[in-house]
Amino acid sequence: MRGALLIFKKELMEFSKDRRTMFFTLLMPLILYTVLFSIMAKLNRRNDEELKKHPSRIALVDPDGLIAPLLKTPGSKFEIVAPPQGDVSKAILAQKLELQVVVEPNAAVKRSRQEPVTLTVTRDQSEGASVLAYDRLEEVLKASDTRIVAERLASLHAPAALVVPTHLVPVDAGDQGRAVTKALGAFLPYLVMMMMLQGAIQHGIYTTTGEKERGTLLSLLSTALPRRQIIWGKLLYTFTMGVVSALINILSVAMSYALLAQPAAKSGNTSALSDPLVLLLAFVLMVPLGLLFSNLILLVGVWSKNSAEAGSGLAPLTFTVLILGVFMMSPGVDKMSLLPYLPVVNVSLAIRKLFSQQANTFEYLLAMTMTFGIAACLTWMSTRLLNREEALFRA
Amino acid sequence: MIEVNDVRKHFELRDKKTRKKKRIDAVRGVSFRVSPGEIYGLLGPNGAGKSTTMRMMAGLMRPDSGSISICGISVTDHPEQARKKIGYLSTDLNVYGRFTPREYLSLFGEFQGLDHRVAEKRAFHLLERLQLSDFADVRMQGFSTGQKQKVGIVRALLHDPEVVIFDEPTTGLDVLTAKTVLDLLHVMKAEGRTVIISSHVMPMVEEVCDRVGIIFDGCLHGDASPRHVLDQWNVRTLDEVFFSLAATEEVA
Repeated sequence: MRGALLIFKKELMEFSKDRRTMFFTLLMPLILYTVLFSIMAKLNRRNDEELKKHPSRIALVDPDGLIAPLLKTPGSKFEIVAPPQGDVSKAILAQKLELQVVVEPNAAVKRSRQEPVTLTVTRDQSEGASVLAYDRLEEVLKASDTRIVAERLASLHAPAALVVPTHLVPVDAGDQGRAVTKALGAFLPYLVMMMMLQGAIQHGIYTTTGEKERGTLLSLLSTALPRRQIIWGKLLYTFTMGVVSALINILSVAMSYALLAQPAAKSGNTSALSDPLVLLLAFVLMVPLGLLFSNLILLVGVWSKNSAEAGSGLAPLTFTVLILGVFMMSPGVDKMSLLPYLPVVNVSLAIRKLFSQQANTFEYLLAMTMTFGIAACLTWMSTRLLNREEALFRA
Repeated sequence: MIEVNDVRKHFELRDKKTRKKKRIDAVRGVSFRVSPGEIYGLLGPNGAGKSTTMRMMAGLMRPDSGSISICGISVTDHPEQARKKIGYLSTDLNVYGRFTPREYLSLFGEFQGLDHRVAEKRAFHLLERLQLSDFADVRMQGFSTGQKQKVGIVRALLHDPEVVIFDEPTTGLDVLTAKTVLDLLHVMKAEGRTVIISSHVMPMVEEVCDRVGIIFDGCLHGDASPRHVLDQWNVRTLDEVFFSLAATEEVA
């Protein structure tokens, strides 16, 4: 094992002498996510504040003047504009106004007969300003309806409880915070897998194909170090860099998340995210996954003639992990009975369940054993490959 | 002591046009023996099989058949043990550009089983001997070919090997650096090491080698002192031996 540790030391020394790679591996993710999330949050907040400052522009078609007084009160959050010429939807999509409200004809008669009055509202659900205008309108109408119902009940000498036959009292076992945790639980395995893979690929190729390209691999092989120890050392380095990349990225996301502090996450039930046991179990599961990726990278790296060939050889792996990651984020995917038996996917599933507080011991152990097993087989193959001349001296 | 007995090696290359595999016999039954304190020159044109033979001796390639032993240790059966006895240098081998010679050599000393401090001390001593100690703490990425070759030589000699295998040690070097390398070969011979060099620079071979083996098309033609080989082929220079061999090949 001394030889493997010496190779690991050599790789770390090389890494420590490349300031640019060090910056991109260790510092950039920390800066990038934090800056990016801060800017996004600031923009969102500013956009929300801007929206709330301005009155909502509403085109009102109200022949009987039933709704107009509600919207024209002093301090109203509405600005009544003339109905647009031509297509209303187009005008709303072009953000010339936020809503059009059309009150049905004979609304006053209907109201006097105590019949429901229909209001047709055209809005744009994809636009925040239109959604806000709709919410404001709903709020005003709800207040008006409450007042009207109260008056009607009073005229009938009926108690206010007459129109409230049921009173719903929710008691949250899992609150909004848990929903955030579950969403993160679905997203984190994807992030871990991608970051681990990307971090490992860069360093894995440098330490295998890169050594071939630079003509340094043969000098290493001409020493007394056994080849299996050379592979183990390189594996240890690639794995370490993959795990470090993943951890730094997660740390950066966590820092950004803490800085932005979603109210739900702050106040709610996010215990799974801060439970050391859950984090430890998730990390322990990352170990075989990191080894699996590192082994695949080494295998391709040892076989490839140059970095370009190694890059294209590893592209299918990146693509597969990307697709699997996206697939694993889909809702309901954790209910599929086959998934615990699929390598890589089962790791993602197990981490997801850990964060959802629905961990399954059998599935967890199966994912770990299976991934370790495959990783060990691949290590064996890489060592064999480093002994094969057609891999070392490929022209 | 090196003993090479009836070593054979072939490669299979794929023809890009026909997509069929083509067999190339790189080394065809080569045998020779080199004793301690002797410099043996393996000569031949490009593609003759010199580098393949040397790589097999250094334990980087396995022969298809035959045997190679270094100081009584079989290279094929115990490559790691054998490599401890060998100092191998080739023009194919490069240095780690981000390291300084001191860091690089200390690390390689450790790879060869030396203690870090011992390796560093030995490395500095050898760098001094090759007039490179002023550059011991300079990153090697800006080094010239000659400087890199000198660092490579120190790397090969760091663990005090009994057998030294230098493949084309003076290729790409200027006259002064080449002279330093040749002087070092003489020193190694005087120290009782077994030295094998390969080259196609005939004057150098004639100057330093005690015996030469002419390798051509994977076969060894003659194994004697340079003077004896010249007499045997009835020529004035070793270059002419190649021309004769090439002519024989064409007639055949």
